[in-house]
Amino acid sequence: MADYYTLVTSLPWLPEQMEKCTQLPLSRIALNRRLTLLSAIDQRQLEVAENLYHPALNDIQPDRERVQLWSKQLQELSSLTLQEIIIQRLEVQTVIAALRYRQRSNTSAEHFVGFGRWTEWIRHHWKEPCFALEKQIAPLEHWCELFNHQLTGELQHQLDRYAWQSLLATERNHHFTIETVISFVLRWGIAERRLKSDSDTALTDFQHLSDTLINSSGIQQQLNRLFEDMNR
Amino acid sequence: MDNLIMALGWAGLYGPMALGAIGSMIGCSLAGQAAAGALLETETGHGRYIGISAMPSSQSIYGIVVMFALNRDVTPENAAGLAGIGLLCGLALMFSAIYQGRSCASAINVSKIRPEIFGMSLAPAAIVEGFAVFAFIFALVISAGVPA
Repeated sequence: MADYYTLVTSLPWLPEQMEKCTQLPLSRIALNRRLTLLSAIDQRQLEVAENLYHPALNDIQPDRERVQLWSKQLQELSSLTLQEIIIQRLEVQTVIAALRYRQRSNTSAEHFVGFGRWTEWIRHHWKEPCFALEKQIAPLEHWCELFNHQLTGELQHQLDRYAWQSLLATERNHHFTIETVISFVLRWGIAERRLKSDSDTALTDFQHLSDTLINSSGIQQQLNRLFEDMNR
Repeated sequence: MDNLIMALGWAGLYGPMALGAIGSMIGCSLAGQAAAGALLETETGHGRYIGISAMPSSQSIYGIVVMFALNRDVTPENAAGLAGIGLLCGLALMFSAIYQGRSCASAINVSKIRPEIFGMSLAPAAIVEGFAVFAFIFALVISAGVPA
């Protein structure tokens, strides 16, 4: 695996504490220009890692298909460290998704689909407040508390901080390698999302997403087919 | 058998120079790559980054001096001694140059973020240099015992 001495030293500094990152040290265009120092294989790894870590908002695939796609994409990452980073992120997302899914009416543990080693465990401990995962994920109890009090903004902040610290630890354990570069870019992605976050844009995005979901629902598709049949 | 011993003797004679130079090439390259990256990210202090990247070149100089200290007619009697001192000293110089290059790259990376720790960040590279000096000095001392 290649070492990236020039690239790593050309990357700007991001603070150790996420809250101290009040502005991005360089634009995405400038960052991408520096990332051209990566080999073609590592550029692909970065792309996969970013897609998995910071998924696009307009992704409306059903959960089961999405989990299958994630598993497939993970195989493209040759570095075990990178796989671990992504798996940790997806597993945390699975737990949060389970909390949200459980809160909805008419849902059951059997229908819950998630990623990673805890999915089956979550189904078995569906009635437990935090799915009995407090020992495996230390801050989960606090996250559950925030979730139950509907403090979703603060919950997102805590999740981002958890991810930030985890990526920072990886960066420090790997010097001048692809793991260092990808951990930095993923941390940069968190900072970018946080700094660009805007409640009005979020509402617009949510509206767009829900419209897309409603239009693509099974009932809507069946109605469309019925209308098409009637018109013939 | 004599030919092999003679070949090892010659390898021992040229080894410190060649292995030291190989180490310096790799070490300077690693530190130089880091310095090149730091130039993009910083506005000042470029000279010192380039200066640090030349630190692993000293091992080549030590290698040259040891080579001259060992320089004598290679005979079956002194070939084994030359091989032992020359090759081991060369390996020590080579590895010290490579790892010094890595230390310099790390020093450049951290002093880019916090310029005030520039001096302290060079301590690991200086310690590695110290071990290269040990290998160099004691090679000179021992070389006096090799028959001419």
